[in-house]
Amino acid sequence: MTTNLNQADEIRARIEADSSSRIVVSFYWGTALIWLTIATLAGLISSAKLHSPGFLGDIEWLTFGRIRPVHWDAAIYGFGGLAASGTLLWLQARLCQVQLPFKHWLIAGGTIFNLGMLCGVVSVLAGYSTGVETLEFPVWAMTMLVIPYVIIVVANFTMYARKKTKHTYVSQWYLMAVTVWFPVLVLSAEACINFGAVDGVAQAIANWWYGHNVVGLFATPAGIAAAYYLIPKVIGKPIHSYHLSLLGFWTNAIFYNWAGTHHLTGGPLPAWTITIGVVGSMMMFIPVITIGINHHMTMVGSFHLLRTSPTLRFAVMGSMMYTVSSFQGSLEALRSHQEVTHFTHYTIGHVHLGMYGFFAPLMFAMMYYAMPRLMRQEWSSARLIRIHFWCTLIGTALYGAAMCFAGVKQGLMMNDPAIPFLKIVSFTIPFLWLRTLAGLILLAGTVAFLINFGRMLMRYKVTFADPTLFTTERNWDALLASGKEEKPA
Amino acid sequence: MFFVFMFIWAFAIFAGITMVWLLAWAIRKGEFQNLRDGARMIFDDTEPIGTVTDCFPGESGKPAKVGAK
Repeated sequence: MTTNLNQADEIRARIEADSSSRIVVSFYWGTALIWLTIATLAGLISSAKLHSPGFLGDIEWLTFGRIRPVHWDAAIYGFGGLAASGTLLWLQARLCQVQLPFKHWLIAGGTIFNLGMLCGVVSVLAGYSTGVETLEFPVWAMTMLVIPYVIIVVANFTMYARKKTKHTYVSQWYLMAVTVWFPVLVLSAEACINFGAVDGVAQAIANWWYGHNVVGLFATPAGIAAAYYLIPKVIGKPIHSYHLSLLGFWTNAIFYNWAGTHHLTGGPLPAWTITIGVVGSMMMFIPVITIGINHHMTMVGSFHLLRTSPTLRFAVMGSMMYTVSSFQGSLEALRSHQEVTHFTHYTIGHVHLGMYGFFAPLMFAMMYYAMPRLMRQEWSSARLIRIHFWCTLIGTALYGAAMCFAGVKQGLMMNDPAIPFLKIVSFTIPFLWLRTLAGLILLAGTVAFLINFGRMLMRYKVTFADPTLFTTERNWDALLASGKEEKPA
Repeated sequence: MFFVFMFIWAFAIFAGITMVWLLAWAIRKGEFQNLRDGARMIFDDTEPIGTVTDCFPGESGKPAKVGAK
Protein backbone atom coordinates (compact mmCIF):
# COMPACT_ATOMS: atom_id res chain seq x y z
CA MET A 1 0.00 0.00 0.00
CA THR A 2 1.07 3.61 -0.46
CA THR A 3 -0.20 4.76 2.89
CA ASN A 4 1.05 4.57 6.44
CA LEU A 5 -2.43 3.75 7.79
CA ASN A 6 -4.17 0.49 8.65
CA GLN A 7 -7.65 -0.33 7.39
CA ALA A 8 -9.61 1.28 10.24
CA ASP A 9 -7.43 4.38 10.11
CA GLU A 10 -7.93 4.64 6.35
CA ILE A 11 -11.71 4.67 6.76
CA ARG A 12 -11.47 7.09 9.66
CA ALA A 13 -9.17 9.37 7.64
CA ARG A 14 -11.58 9.36 4.68
CA ILE A 15 -14.62 10.11 6.86
CA GLU A 16 -12.76 12.85 8.69
CA ALA A 17 -11.48 14.38 5.44
CA ASP A 18 -15.03 14.43 4.03
CA SER A 19 -16.60 15.73 7.27
CA SER A 20 -14.02 18.46 7.70
CA SER A 21 -14.56 19.82 4.17
CA ARG A 22 -18.38 19.57 4.20
CA ILE A 23 -19.29 23.22 4.90
CA VAL A 24 -16.44 24.86 2.99
CA VAL A 25 -16.76 22.74 -0.15
CA SER A 26 -20.58 22.90 -0.19
CA PHE A 27 -20.34 26.69 0.08
CA TYR A 28 -17.82 26.95 -2.78
CA TRP A 29 -19.75 24.58 -5.06
CA GLY A 30 -23.19 26.01 -4.20
CA THR A 31 -22.11 29.56 -5.03
CA ALA A 32 -20.28 28.28 -8.13
CA LEU A 33 -23.57 26.91 -9.44
CA ILE A 34 -25.33 30.22 -8.79
CA TRP A 35 -22.63 31.98 -10.86
CA LEU A 36 -22.99 29.35 -13.58
CA THR A 37 -26.72 30.07 -13.76
CA ILE A 38 -26.02 33.82 -13.96
CA ALA A 39 -23.33 33.21 -16.61
CA THR A 40 -25.63 31.04 -18.72
CA LEU A 41 -28.48 33.56 -18.46
CA ALA A 42 -26.14 36.42 -19.44
CA GLY A 43 -24.86 34.30 -22.36
CA LEU A 44 -28.42 33.64 -23.48
CA ILE A 45 -29.24 37.38 -23.50
CA SER A 46 -26.01 38.09 -25.44
CA SER A 47 -26.82 35.35 -27.93
CA ALA A 48 -30.38 36.60 -28.50
CA LYS A 49 -29.07 40.10 -29.22
CA LEU A 50 -27.02 38.79 -32.15
CA HIS A 51 -30.05 37.62 -34.15
CA SER A 52 -32.60 40.02 -32.61
CA PRO A 53 -30.68 43.26 -31.96
CA GLY A 54 -33.72 44.99 -30.44
CA PHE A 55 -34.05 42.40 -27.66
CA LEU A 56 -33.73 44.30 -24.34
CA GLY A 57 -32.11 46.98 -26.48
CA ASP A 58 -33.41 49.93 -24.45
CA ILE A 59 -31.83 48.81 -21.16
CA GLU A 60 -28.30 50.22 -21.08
CA TRP A 61 -27.17 47.76 -18.37
CA LEU A 62 -27.92 44.87 -20.69
CA THR A 63 -26.32 46.12 -23.91
CA PHE A 64 -24.12 43.56 -25.67
CA GLY A 65 -20.86 45.28 -24.67
CA ARG A 66 -21.74 44.87 -20.99
CA ILE A 67 -23.71 41.62 -20.74
CA ARG A 68 -21.26 39.58 -22.84
CA PRO A 69 -18.23 40.24 -20.54
CA VAL A 70 -20.47 39.42 -17.57
CA HIS A 71 -21.27 36.07 -19.24
CA TRP A 72 -17.60 35.14 -19.65
CA ASP A 73 -16.32 36.51 -16.32
CA ALA A 74 -19.14 34.87 -14.35
CA ALA A 75 -18.34 31.57 -16.13
CA ILE A 76 -14.55 31.58 -15.80
CA TYR A 77 -14.15 33.23 -12.38
CA GLY A 78 -17.50 32.75 -10.64
CA PHE A 79 -18.19 29.18 -11.72
CA GLY A 80 -14.69 28.11 -12.74
CA GLY A 81 -12.87 29.65 -9.80
CA LEU A 82 -15.21 28.43 -7.09
CA ALA A 83 -15.87 24.99 -8.61
CA ALA A 84 -12.14 24.38 -9.11
CA SER A 85 -11.34 25.60 -5.58
CA GLY A 86 -13.97 23.34 -4.02
CA THR A 87 -12.61 20.42 -6.06
CA LEU A 88 -9.07 21.25 -5.00
CA LEU A 89 -9.89 21.41 -1.29
CA TRP A 90 -11.96 18.23 -1.18
CA LEU A 91 -9.68 16.15 -3.35
CA GLN A 92 -6.48 17.28 -1.65
CA ALA A 93 -7.92 16.48 1.82
CA ARG A 94 -8.98 13.03 0.58
CA LEU A 95 -5.75 12.20 -1.22
CA CYS A 96 -3.60 13.41 1.67
CA GLN A 97 -5.92 11.63 4.15
CA VAL A 98 -5.99 14.70 6.40
CA GLN A 99 -8.62 17.11 7.65
CA LEU A 100 -9.21 20.38 5.83
CA PRO A 101 -7.37 23.13 7.76
CA PHE A 102 -8.25 26.84 8.17
CA LYS A 103 -11.97 26.27 7.61
CA HIS A 104 -13.03 29.69 8.95
CA TRP A 105 -10.41 31.43 6.83
CA LEU A 106 -11.54 29.50 3.77
CA ILE A 107 -15.18 30.47 4.37
CA ALA A 108 -14.06 34.11 4.77
CA GLY A 109 -12.01 33.77 1.56
CA GLY A 110 -14.97 32.30 -0.34
CA THR A 111 -17.17 35.16 0.91
CA ILE A 112 -14.62 37.78 -0.24
CA PHE A 113 -14.37 36.01 -3.61
CA ASN A 114 -18.15 36.08 -4.05
CA LEU A 115 -18.32 39.74 -3.00
CA GLY A 116 -15.53 40.50 -5.49
CA MET A 117 -17.53 38.73 -8.20
CA LEU A 118 -20.66 40.68 -7.30
CA CYS A 119 -18.78 44.00 -7.33
CA GLY A 120 -17.08 43.13 -10.61
CA VAL A 121 -20.30 42.13 -12.35
CA VAL A 122 -22.20 45.21 -11.13
CA SER A 123 -19.28 47.44 -12.18
CA VAL A 124 -19.22 45.99 -15.70
CA LEU A 125 -23.02 46.23 -16.01
CA ALA A 126 -22.85 49.85 -14.82
CA GLY A 127 -20.31 50.66 -17.52
CA TYR A 128 -17.09 50.62 -15.51
CA SER A 129 -15.39 47.82 -17.45
CA THR A 130 -11.67 48.17 -18.10
CA GLY A 131 -12.33 47.08 -21.69
CA VAL A 132 -9.59 44.43 -21.52
CA GLU A 133 -10.95 41.00 -22.44
CA THR A 134 -11.11 38.58 -19.49
CA LEU A 135 -9.81 41.34 -17.21
CA GLU A 136 -12.91 43.55 -17.48
CA PHE A 137 -13.42 43.82 -13.72
CA PRO A 138 -11.91 46.92 -12.08
CA VAL A 139 -8.55 46.24 -10.44
CA TRP A 140 -9.98 46.48 -6.92
CA ALA A 141 -12.61 43.84 -7.74
CA MET A 142 -9.95 41.54 -9.25
CA THR A 143 -7.91 42.00 -6.07
CA MET A 144 -10.86 40.58 -4.14
CA LEU A 145 -10.65 37.46 -6.33
CA VAL A 146 -6.91 37.00 -5.78
CA ILE A 147 -6.74 37.51 -1.98
CA PRO A 148 -8.72 34.31 -1.19
CA TYR A 149 -6.21 32.38 -3.28
CA VAL A 150 -3.54 33.14 -0.71
CA ILE A 151 -5.64 31.24 1.85
CA ILE A 152 -6.33 28.42 -0.62
CA VAL A 153 -2.62 28.10 -1.48
CA VAL A 154 -1.68 27.96 2.21
CA ALA A 155 -4.44 25.40 2.97
CA ASN A 156 -3.44 23.31 -0.04
CA PHE A 157 0.25 23.12 0.86
CA THR A 158 -0.50 22.66 4.56
CA MET A 159 -2.53 19.56 3.71
CA TYR A 160 0.30 18.33 1.50
CA ALA A 161 2.87 18.89 4.25
CA ARG A 162 0.68 16.91 6.69
CA LYS A 163 -0.15 14.09 4.27
CA LYS A 164 -0.26 10.55 5.57
CA THR A 165 0.26 8.96 2.16
CA LYS A 166 3.70 8.22 0.73
CA HIS A 167 3.06 9.04 -2.91
CA THR A 168 1.90 12.21 -4.68
CA TYR A 169 -1.00 11.18 -6.92
CA VAL A 170 -1.14 12.70 -10.41
CA SER A 171 -4.26 14.74 -9.52
CA GLN A 172 -2.31 16.35 -6.68
CA TRP A 173 0.34 17.60 -9.10
CA TYR A 174 -2.37 19.37 -11.08
CA LEU A 175 -4.09 20.72 -7.96
CA MET A 176 -0.93 22.16 -6.46
CA ALA A 177 0.09 23.68 -9.77
CA VAL A 178 -3.26 25.39 -10.31
CA THR A 179 -3.11 27.15 -6.94
CA VAL A 180 0.26 28.65 -7.85
CA TRP A 181 -0.42 29.42 -11.50
CA PHE A 182 -3.65 31.41 -11.05
CA PRO A 183 -2.27 34.19 -8.78
CA VAL A 184 0.88 34.41 -10.95
CA LEU A 185 -1.25 34.83 -14.07
CA VAL A 186 -3.57 37.47 -12.63
CA LEU A 187 -0.87 39.54 -10.94
CA SER A 188 1.40 39.52 -13.99
CA ALA A 189 -1.40 40.42 -16.41
CA GLU A 190 -2.76 43.16 -14.15
CA ALA A 191 0.76 44.59 -13.72
CA CYS A 192 1.32 44.61 -17.47
CA ILE A 193 -2.06 45.95 -18.55
CA ASN A 194 -4.06 47.75 -15.88
CA PHE A 195 -0.97 49.09 -14.03
CA GLY A 196 0.48 50.16 -17.36
CA ALA A 197 3.85 48.41 -17.24
CA VAL A 198 3.62 47.93 -21.01
CA ASP A 199 1.59 49.63 -23.70
CA GLY A 200 0.55 49.27 -27.33
CA VAL A 201 0.68 45.83 -28.91
CA ALA A 202 2.64 44.52 -25.91
CA GLN A 203 -0.58 44.90 -23.92
CA ALA A 204 -2.33 42.71 -26.47
CA ILE A 205 0.38 40.06 -26.04
CA ALA A 206 -0.01 40.21 -22.25
CA ASN A 207 -3.79 40.12 -22.64
CA TRP A 208 -3.82 36.95 -24.74
CA TRP A 209 -1.03 35.32 -22.76
CA TYR A 210 -3.40 35.75 -19.81
CA GLY A 211 -6.67 35.03 -21.62
CA HIS A 212 -5.38 31.74 -23.01
CA ASN A 213 -3.60 30.62 -19.85
CA VAL A 214 -6.49 31.35 -17.51
CA VAL A 215 -8.30 28.55 -19.34
CA GLY A 216 -5.32 26.23 -19.83
CA LEU A 217 -3.42 26.72 -16.58
CA PHE A 218 -6.38 27.32 -14.29
CA ALA A 219 -9.56 25.59 -15.47
CA THR A 220 -7.93 22.75 -17.42
CA PRO A 221 -5.67 21.38 -14.64
CA ALA A 222 -8.61 21.30 -12.23
CA GLY A 223 -10.68 19.39 -14.79
CA ILE A 224 -7.92 16.89 -15.55
CA ALA A 225 -7.25 16.38 -11.83
CA ALA A 226 -10.94 15.53 -11.38
CA ALA A 227 -10.88 13.09 -14.33
CA TYR A 228 -7.75 11.31 -13.09
CA TYR A 229 -9.40 10.72 -9.73
CA LEU A 230 -12.99 10.04 -10.73
CA ILE A 231 -12.68 7.70 -13.71
CA PRO A 232 -10.45 5.08 -12.00
CA LYS A 233 -12.20 5.51 -8.65
CA VAL A 234 -15.73 5.04 -10.00
CA ILE A 235 -14.97 2.01 -12.19
CA GLY A 236 -12.55 0.48 -9.67
CA LYS A 237 -9.63 0.28 -12.09
CA PRO A 238 -6.23 2.05 -11.89
CA ILE A 239 -5.18 4.49 -14.62
CA HIS A 240 -4.10 2.66 -17.78
CA SER A 241 -0.60 4.19 -17.79
CA TYR A 242 0.54 6.15 -14.78
CA HIS A 243 3.79 6.98 -16.61
CA LEU A 244 1.83 8.74 -19.34
CA SER A 245 -0.24 10.65 -16.78
CA LEU A 246 2.89 12.20 -15.26
CA LEU A 247 4.36 12.89 -18.70
CA GLY A 248 1.07 14.64 -19.52
CA PHE A 249 1.29 16.87 -16.45
CA TRP A 250 4.88 18.00 -16.97
CA THR A 251 4.50 18.59 -20.71
CA ASN A 252 1.31 20.56 -20.05
CA ALA A 253 3.23 22.63 -17.48
CA ILE A 254 6.07 23.30 -19.90
CA PHE A 255 4.23 23.94 -23.18
CA TYR A 256 0.85 25.52 -22.42
CA ASN A 257 2.30 28.81 -21.25
CA TRP A 258 3.72 29.51 -24.73
CA ALA A 259 0.53 29.06 -26.74
CA GLY A 260 -1.40 32.28 -26.03
CA THR A 261 -0.04 34.49 -28.79
CA HIS A 262 -1.69 32.37 -31.49
CA HIS A 263 -4.81 34.45 -30.72
CA LEU A 264 -3.07 37.39 -32.38
CA THR A 265 -2.25 35.75 -35.72
CA GLY A 266 -2.54 38.40 -38.40
CA GLY A 267 -2.09 41.18 -35.87
CA PRO A 268 0.64 43.86 -35.93
CA LEU A 269 3.14 41.79 -33.95
CA PRO A 270 6.63 40.50 -34.75
CA ALA A 271 6.24 37.19 -36.60
CA TRP A 272 8.36 35.33 -34.07
CA THR A 273 5.90 36.04 -31.23
CA ILE A 274 3.10 34.41 -33.22
CA THR A 275 5.40 31.54 -34.24
CA ILE A 276 6.18 30.83 -30.59
CA GLY A 277 2.43 30.58 -29.95
CA VAL A 278 2.01 28.21 -32.90
CA VAL A 279 4.92 26.00 -31.80
CA GLY A 280 3.61 25.94 -28.20
CA SER A 281 0.18 24.92 -29.51
CA MET A 282 1.66 22.09 -31.62
CA MET A 283 3.67 20.82 -28.64
CA MET A 284 0.41 20.66 -26.68
CA PHE A 285 -0.46 17.58 -28.75
CA ILE A 286 1.88 15.64 -26.42
CA PRO A 287 -0.07 16.15 -23.17
CA VAL A 288 -3.42 16.02 -24.99
CA ILE A 289 -2.63 12.68 -26.64
CA THR A 290 -1.24 11.17 -23.42
CA ILE A 291 -4.27 12.26 -21.43
CA GLY A 292 -6.69 11.15 -24.15
CA ILE A 293 -5.06 7.70 -24.45
CA ASN A 294 -5.05 7.29 -20.69
CA HIS A 295 -8.68 8.20 -20.16
CA HIS A 296 -9.90 6.09 -23.07
CA MET A 297 -7.80 3.01 -22.29
CA THR A 298 -8.80 3.18 -18.62
CA MET A 299 -12.46 3.14 -19.66
CA VAL A 300 -12.11 0.25 -22.14
CA GLY A 301 -14.18 -2.63 -20.80
CA SER A 302 -16.16 -0.37 -18.46
CA PHE A 303 -18.26 1.67 -20.86
CA HIS A 304 -21.39 -0.24 -19.78
CA LEU A 305 -21.15 1.58 -16.43
CA LEU A 306 -22.16 4.79 -18.22
CA ARG A 307 -25.72 3.49 -17.98
CA THR A 308 -25.65 3.35 -14.20
CA SER A 309 -23.23 6.03 -12.94
CA PRO A 310 -24.04 9.75 -13.19
CA THR A 311 -20.51 10.68 -12.14
CA LEU A 312 -19.02 8.55 -14.89
CA ARG A 313 -21.33 9.99 -17.54
CA PHE A 314 -20.18 13.53 -16.85
CA ALA A 315 -16.53 12.53 -16.32
CA VAL A 316 -16.34 10.61 -19.61
CA MET A 317 -18.15 13.35 -21.50
CA GLY A 318 -15.70 15.92 -20.09
CA SER A 319 -12.67 13.77 -20.87
CA MET A 320 -13.74 13.09 -24.45
CA MET A 321 -14.47 16.74 -25.01
CA TYR A 322 -11.04 17.61 -23.60
CA THR A 323 -9.44 15.62 -26.40
CA VAL A 324 -11.77 17.04 -29.06
CA SER A 325 -11.53 20.69 -27.99
CA SER A 326 -7.76 20.50 -27.40
CA PHE A 327 -7.09 19.01 -30.85
CA GLN A 328 -9.33 21.67 -32.30
CA GLY A 329 -7.54 24.39 -30.32
CA SER A 330 -4.07 23.30 -31.40
CA LEU A 331 -5.09 23.14 -35.06
CA GLU A 332 -6.69 26.58 -34.77
CA ALA A 333 -3.26 27.99 -33.98
CA LEU A 334 -1.99 27.20 -37.50
CA ARG A 335 -1.82 30.25 -39.76
CA SER A 336 -3.44 28.36 -42.64
CA HIS A 337 -6.35 27.40 -40.37
CA GLN A 338 -6.70 30.93 -39.02
CA GLU A 339 -6.96 32.34 -42.54
CA VAL A 340 -10.43 30.83 -42.56
CA THR A 341 -11.60 30.64 -38.95
CA HIS A 342 -10.10 33.75 -37.30
CA PHE A 343 -12.73 36.34 -36.31
CA THR A 344 -15.58 33.90 -37.02
CA HIS A 345 -18.10 32.00 -34.90
CA TYR A 346 -15.79 28.96 -35.07
CA THR A 347 -13.69 30.34 -32.19
CA ILE A 348 -16.82 30.85 -30.08
CA GLY A 349 -17.83 27.24 -30.75
CA HIS A 350 -14.38 26.06 -29.66
CA VAL A 351 -14.46 27.99 -26.39
CA HIS A 352 -17.86 26.56 -25.51
CA LEU A 353 -16.77 23.01 -26.33
CA GLY A 354 -13.93 23.61 -23.85
CA MET A 355 -15.86 25.25 -21.04
CA TYR A 356 -19.31 23.60 -21.32
CA GLY A 357 -18.13 20.38 -22.92
CA PHE A 358 -14.93 19.65 -21.01
CA PHE A 359 -14.49 21.71 -17.83
CA ALA A 360 -18.08 22.07 -16.58
CA PRO A 361 -19.03 18.35 -16.92
CA LEU A 362 -15.91 17.34 -14.97
CA MET A 363 -16.84 19.78 -12.20
CA PHE A 364 -20.40 18.39 -12.27
CA ALA A 365 -18.97 14.86 -12.05
CA MET A 366 -16.93 15.88 -9.03
CA MET A 367 -20.00 17.37 -7.35
CA TYR A 368 -22.17 14.32 -8.12
CA TYR A 369 -19.53 12.05 -6.61
CA ALA A 370 -18.51 14.11 -3.60
CA MET A 371 -21.69 15.77 -2.36
CA PRO A 372 -23.41 12.56 -1.16
CA ARG A 373 -20.22 11.69 0.70
CA LEU A 374 -19.88 15.17 2.18
CA MET A 375 -23.53 15.40 3.24
CA ARG A 376 -23.93 11.65 3.92
CA GLN A 377 -27.12 11.80 1.95
CA GLU A 378 -28.21 10.64 -1.50
CA TRP A 379 -29.27 12.94 -4.34
CA SER A 380 -33.04 13.42 -4.15
CA SER A 381 -33.85 12.84 -7.84
CA ALA A 382 -32.32 10.57 -10.47
CA ARG A 383 -34.63 12.18 -13.04
CA LEU A 384 -33.14 15.63 -12.44
CA ILE A 385 -29.64 14.15 -12.87
CA ARG A 386 -30.66 12.62 -16.20
CA ILE A 387 -32.26 15.90 -17.34
CA HIS A 388 -29.06 17.71 -16.37
CA PHE A 389 -26.86 15.27 -18.27
CA TRP A 390 -28.86 15.17 -21.48
CA CYS A 391 -29.33 18.95 -21.50
CA THR A 392 -25.57 19.41 -21.04
CA LEU A 393 -24.72 16.90 -23.78
CA ILE A 394 -27.34 18.01 -26.32
CA GLY A 395 -26.84 21.72 -25.60
CA THR A 396 -23.07 21.51 -25.99
CA ALA A 397 -23.24 19.34 -29.12
CA LEU A 398 -25.79 21.63 -30.76
CA TYR A 399 -23.82 24.73 -29.83
CA GLY A 400 -20.49 23.31 -31.00
CA ALA A 401 -21.83 21.90 -34.27
CA ALA A 402 -23.80 25.05 -35.19
CA MET A 403 -21.02 27.50 -34.39
CA CYS A 404 -18.16 25.49 -35.89
CA PHE A 405 -20.01 24.80 -39.15
CA ALA A 406 -21.24 28.39 -39.41
CA GLY A 407 -17.76 29.69 -38.56
CA VAL A 408 -15.98 27.74 -41.31
CA LYS A 409 -18.58 28.73 -43.90
CA GLN A 410 -18.50 32.34 -42.66
CA GLY A 411 -14.70 32.39 -42.94
CA LEU A 412 -14.71 30.98 -46.47
CA MET A 413 -17.32 33.53 -47.52
CA MET A 414 -15.36 36.39 -45.96
CA ASN A 415 -12.27 35.34 -47.92
CA ASP A 416 -14.25 35.78 -51.14
CA PRO A 417 -14.31 39.51 -51.97
CA ALA A 418 -17.18 38.97 -54.41
CA ILE A 419 -19.61 38.14 -51.56
CA PRO A 420 -21.23 41.20 -49.93
CA PHE A 421 -20.68 41.36 -46.14
CA LEU A 422 -24.42 41.66 -45.45
CA LYS A 423 -25.01 38.36 -47.24
CA ILE A 424 -22.51 36.69 -44.91
CA VAL A 425 -24.27 38.17 -41.88
CA SER A 426 -27.64 36.94 -43.18
CA PHE A 427 -26.17 33.46 -43.70
CA THR A 428 -25.17 33.19 -40.02
CA ILE A 429 -28.55 34.21 -38.57
CA PRO A 430 -30.20 30.73 -38.56
CA PHE A 431 -27.12 29.38 -36.77
CA LEU A 432 -27.33 32.17 -34.21
CA TRP A 433 -30.91 31.06 -33.48
CA LEU A 434 -29.60 27.51 -33.02
CA ARG A 435 -27.02 28.94 -30.62
CA THR A 436 -29.77 30.59 -28.55
CA LEU A 437 -31.70 27.30 -28.54
CA ALA A 438 -28.56 25.50 -27.33
CA GLY A 439 -28.14 28.13 -24.60
CA LEU A 440 -31.74 27.56 -23.48
CA ILE A 441 -31.12 23.80 -23.27
CA LEU A 442 -27.92 24.37 -21.26
CA LEU A 443 -29.79 26.73 -18.93
CA ALA A 444 -32.53 24.13 -18.37
CA GLY A 445 -29.87 21.58 -17.39
CA THR A 446 -28.16 24.01 -15.06
CA VAL A 447 -31.45 24.84 -13.32
CA ALA A 448 -32.20 21.10 -12.90
CA PHE A 449 -28.83 20.65 -11.19
CA LEU A 450 -29.32 23.75 -9.07
CA ILE A 451 -32.64 22.35 -7.82
CA ASN A 452 -31.07 18.97 -6.99
CA PHE A 453 -28.12 20.68 -5.29
CA GLY A 454 -30.41 22.96 -3.27
CA ARG A 455 -32.47 19.96 -2.17
CA MET A 456 -29.28 18.25 -1.04
CA LEU A 457 -28.23 21.25 1.06
CA MET A 458 -31.69 21.52 2.59
CA ARG A 459 -31.78 17.75 3.14
CA TYR A 460 -35.05 17.65 1.23
CA LYS A 461 -36.74 14.36 0.38
CA VAL A 462 -34.25 11.90 1.84
CA THR A 463 -35.65 8.73 0.30
CA PHE A 464 -32.49 6.68 -0.18
CA ALA A 465 -29.41 6.48 1.99
CA ASP A 466 -27.40 3.71 0.40
CA PRO A 467 -27.47 3.56 -3.38
CA THR A 468 -24.38 5.60 -4.16
CA LEU A 469 -22.50 2.57 -2.92
CA PHE A 470 -21.23 4.09 0.27
CA THR A 471 -18.47 1.61 0.83
CA THR A 472 -16.93 3.89 3.42
CA GLU A 473 -20.09 3.99 5.49
CA ARG A 474 -20.83 0.29 5.04
CA ASN A 475 -17.36 -0.76 6.11
CA TRP A 476 -17.43 1.60 9.01
CA ASP A 477 -20.76 0.15 10.09
CA ALA A 478 -19.16 -3.30 9.94
CA LEU A 479 -16.29 -2.15 12.11
CA LEU A 480 -18.72 -0.57 14.55
CA ALA A 481 -20.67 -3.81 14.71
CA SER A 482 -17.48 -5.64 15.61
CA GLY A 483 -17.22 -3.37 18.66
CA LYS A 484 -13.59 -2.43 17.90
CA GLU A 485 -14.06 1.13 16.79
CA GLU A 486 -15.88 4.29 17.69
CA LYS A 487 -17.31 6.42 14.89
CA PRO A 488 -15.80 9.90 14.58
CA ALA A 489 -18.07 12.93 14.72
CA MET B 1 7.10 51.76 -13.46
CA PHE B 2 10.60 50.45 -12.75
CA PHE B 3 9.30 48.57 -9.71
CA VAL B 4 6.43 47.03 -11.69
CA PHE B 5 8.94 45.79 -14.28
CA MET B 6 11.20 44.43 -11.54
CA PHE B 7 8.20 42.75 -9.92
CA ILE B 8 7.22 41.02 -13.17
CA TRP B 9 10.76 39.78 -13.85
CA ALA B 10 11.28 38.66 -10.25
CA PHE B 11 7.95 36.88 -10.29
CA ALA B 12 8.68 35.11 -13.57
CA ILE B 13 12.15 34.02 -12.45
CA PHE B 14 10.78 32.85 -9.08
CA ALA B 15 8.02 30.84 -10.76
CA GLY B 16 10.46 29.25 -13.23
CA ILE B 17 13.03 28.33 -10.59
CA THR B 18 10.27 26.94 -8.36
CA MET B 19 9.05 24.60 -11.11
CA VAL B 20 12.57 23.32 -11.86
CA TRP B 21 13.29 22.91 -8.15
CA LEU B 22 9.98 21.08 -7.69
CA LEU B 23 10.81 18.66 -10.49
CA ALA B 24 14.29 18.00 -9.05
CA TRP B 25 12.83 17.56 -5.56
CA ALA B 26 10.23 15.09 -6.85
CA ILE B 27 12.92 13.04 -8.63
CA ARG B 28 15.13 13.00 -5.49
CA LYS B 29 12.18 12.00 -3.32
CA GLY B 30 11.40 9.05 -5.59
CA GLU B 31 8.00 10.33 -6.75
CA PHE B 32 8.64 8.87 -10.20
CA GLN B 33 9.61 5.43 -8.94
CA ASN B 34 7.28 2.55 -8.15
CA LEU B 35 4.52 4.12 -10.22
CA ARG B 36 2.43 0.94 -10.16
CA ASP B 37 1.72 1.47 -6.47
CA GLY B 38 1.24 5.18 -7.08
CA ALA B 39 -1.60 4.50 -9.50
CA ARG B 40 -3.25 2.29 -6.86
CA MET B 41 -3.09 4.78 -3.98
CA ILE B 42 -6.72 5.88 -4.49
CA PHE B 43 -7.85 2.34 -3.66
CA ASP B 44 -7.70 0.72 -0.27
CA ASP B 45 -9.04 -2.30 1.58
CA THR B 46 -12.53 -0.82 1.87
CA GLU B 47 -12.78 0.46 -1.70
CA PRO B 48 -10.47 -2.00 -3.50
CA ILE B 49 -9.76 -2.40 -7.20
CA GLY B 50 -12.81 -3.92 -8.85
CA THR B 51 -15.31 -2.06 -6.68
CA VAL B 52 -17.69 0.29 -8.50
CA THR B 53 -18.35 3.29 -6.28
CA ASP B 54 -21.14 5.22 -7.96
CA CYS B 55 -24.60 4.77 -9.43
CA PHE B 56 -27.88 6.62 -9.88
CA PRO B 57 -29.78 7.20 -6.62
CA GLY B 58 -32.40 4.63 -5.87
CA GLU B 59 -31.31 2.21 -8.56
CA SER B 60 -29.03 -0.27 -6.88
CA GLY B 61 -29.13 0.22 -3.15
CA LYS B 62 -31.72 -0.60 -0.59
CA PRO B 63 -34.29 2.04 0.42
CA ALA B 64 -33.39 3.77 3.65
CA LYS B 65 -35.53 3.76 6.72
CA VAL B 66 -35.52 7.53 6.73
CA GLY B 67 -38.56 9.13 5.13
CA ALA B 68 -39.04 12.51 3.52
CA LYS B 69 -38.36 15.48 5.78
